[in-house]
Amino acid sequence: MTGRFRIAKGWRDMKTIAYLTLDTLFWSKKTIFVVFISLVVLGMAVLGRLVLSYNWIRAPFTPAQVFSTLMSTAVIHFMVVFVTLFYGTALISEEVEGKTLTYLFLRPIPKPAIMVGKYLALVWTSVLLVLPTVVFSYLILYLRDDLRPFWEDAGVLGKDIGIVFLALLAYGAFFSLLGAWLKHPILAGLIYAFGWEGIVSYLPGFTRKLTVTHYIQSIFPHENAPASLAMLFGERTQAPEAVSTLLLMTALFLAAACLVLREKEYVLEQ
Amino acid sequence: MTRILEAKGVSKWYGQVIAVNKVSFSVGPGVTGLLGPNGAGKSTLMKLITGQLRPSQGELTLWGERIWNNYPLFYRMGFCPEQDSFYDRMTGAEFVAALLRLHGFSETEVNQRTDSALQQVNLVEARDKKIGAYSKGMRQRIKLAQAVAHDPELLVLDEPLAGMDPVARKETIRFIRILGKEGKCVIVSSHILHEIEAMTSNILLIHNGQVLAEGDVHDIRDLIDKHPHHIYIRCSEPRRAAELLVAFPDVVSIRFHPESNALTLESRNPDEFYSRLPGLLLRHEIALEEITSPDDNLQAVFHYLVK
Repeated sequence: MTGRFRIAKGWRDMKTIAYLTLDTLFWSKKTIFVVFISLVVLGMAVLGRLVLSYNWIRAPFTPAQVFSTLMSTAVIHFMVVFVTLFYGTALISEEVEGKTLTYLFLRPIPKPAIMVGKYLALVWTSVLLVLPTVVFSYLILYLRDDLRPFWEDAGVLGKDIGIVFLALLAYGAFFSLLGAWLKHPILAGLIYAFGWEGIVSYLPGFTRKLTVTHYIQSIFPHENAPASLAMLFGERTQAPEAVSTLLLMTALFLAAACLVLREKEYVLEQ
Repeated sequence: MTRILEAKGVSKWYGQVIAVNKVSFSVGPGVTGLLGPNGAGKSTLMKLITGQLRPSQGELTLWGERIWNNYPLFYRMGFCPEQDSFYDRMTGAEFVAALLRLHGFSETEVNQRTDSALQQVNLVEARDKKIGAYSKGMRQRIKLAQAVAHDPELLVLDEPLAGMDPVARKETIRFIRILGKEGKCVIVSSHILHEIEAMTSNILLIHNGQVLAEGDVHDIRDLIDKHPHHIYIRCSEPRRAAELLVAFPDVVSIRFHPESNALTLESRNPDEFYSRLPGLLLRHEIALEEITSPDDNLQAVFHYLVK
């Protein structure tokens, strides 16, 4: 088998697995929950817009401030984490639980290609559910008679979309690893997301650099309370380094997930 | 004999539990029945053969190649798992086609092969029905369809007849025999002797994770026939029935179950016993309520072989 043919076959295998997974991921009960979270975020944007439009609060708020808070708290630290947690941990563990993994493992496809194909489906599903929420929130908050702020902050929206995408990649890869590795990955995922990530990223010293959150906060284009608090205890990582670290983390988590899938024996209960 | 599958001192244990214990055997073309009671280690052996598990010890090869993590072997192998699990949202045709795509076939070929596989297992009419709405027998057949759709040289079928109605069972047995005659290597597991007997005369007898016997099923049948069969009878007058039955030359023992109006006897010639029994009960007006064989006779042979 030539190298070129091998790459073409590998890509085709991953695509086929991704299509197969997309159907099962998208039409699962989790999607209802994710859509609900998305509606909550959009509801918060609508509320923000009403507050801005009718001056319900005396303190002057700008669309940028509301959007920044929404992005930091609701989207990145909540929606992205939950979406990738639910879908990522399900990629392998649900196939094990549903005993359908046999059908995939007994095909002429290397196990890492199965993992990567499933991960691609996870990224695609997450992007499809999370990014429109970001864009619609922006539209809700910024669309008004005076379109200047809309265009002025469009670059920030672009950066936010990029950051959300990077966060989906990194968290998605980590939770995929947990799903391939552990029998009950959701609990471990929750502990990681809200224990490790939630606490360690605010600690001074080097340990914060062992979290995904730190690198996201480093490139976050808004000034917001959690990021400012975190940055009180240490420097931001420079943007190029933060982006490449997030990509490297993604690659490492995914490689580890592939290795686990390749070497682990999945005993499907009869 | 061309050796397709070869096991040399293969063991598999889960923690402290040994599921397969130093088994050595080889399998060539044709149908081979893997026979053993529930919990004998058949499914573990099947999982080792299909590369779902890695042997803890020993060597297991297919066409001379190790199986674990050797994915190109799956171009040549098909597997029908025991577990009743599917992507329930898919239709039968979608399920078979989706798995065929993983073999790298073109879309035209996927469609042709899907049609052909569904035809082979008589599921053409139900092809567009969701698998979630299939009966147990249909689900068994769709599992079989996905196993044969890519035309593998080796087929591993784990309890393929479980849950099938008699007609489907007969059809499937015929299908498996044809595959064997075509020169394919078919390894089929069951805990029911007559099912295996209907498919092949070549068996591998497994008990407590060990291969007890290998070879012709008729030798096993002879062993079974030499061994007393347990027969459980529930009737209106068990004591009177016992008095009459004890006169049968083949009956070697009788045990009463007063709480359930029943008795269990041991017969050395069950065929003869079954042919005489109805006439005897009719003549003496004893109403028969239930008659079963508590062991499937294999158990007796296993005991015999182990001793």
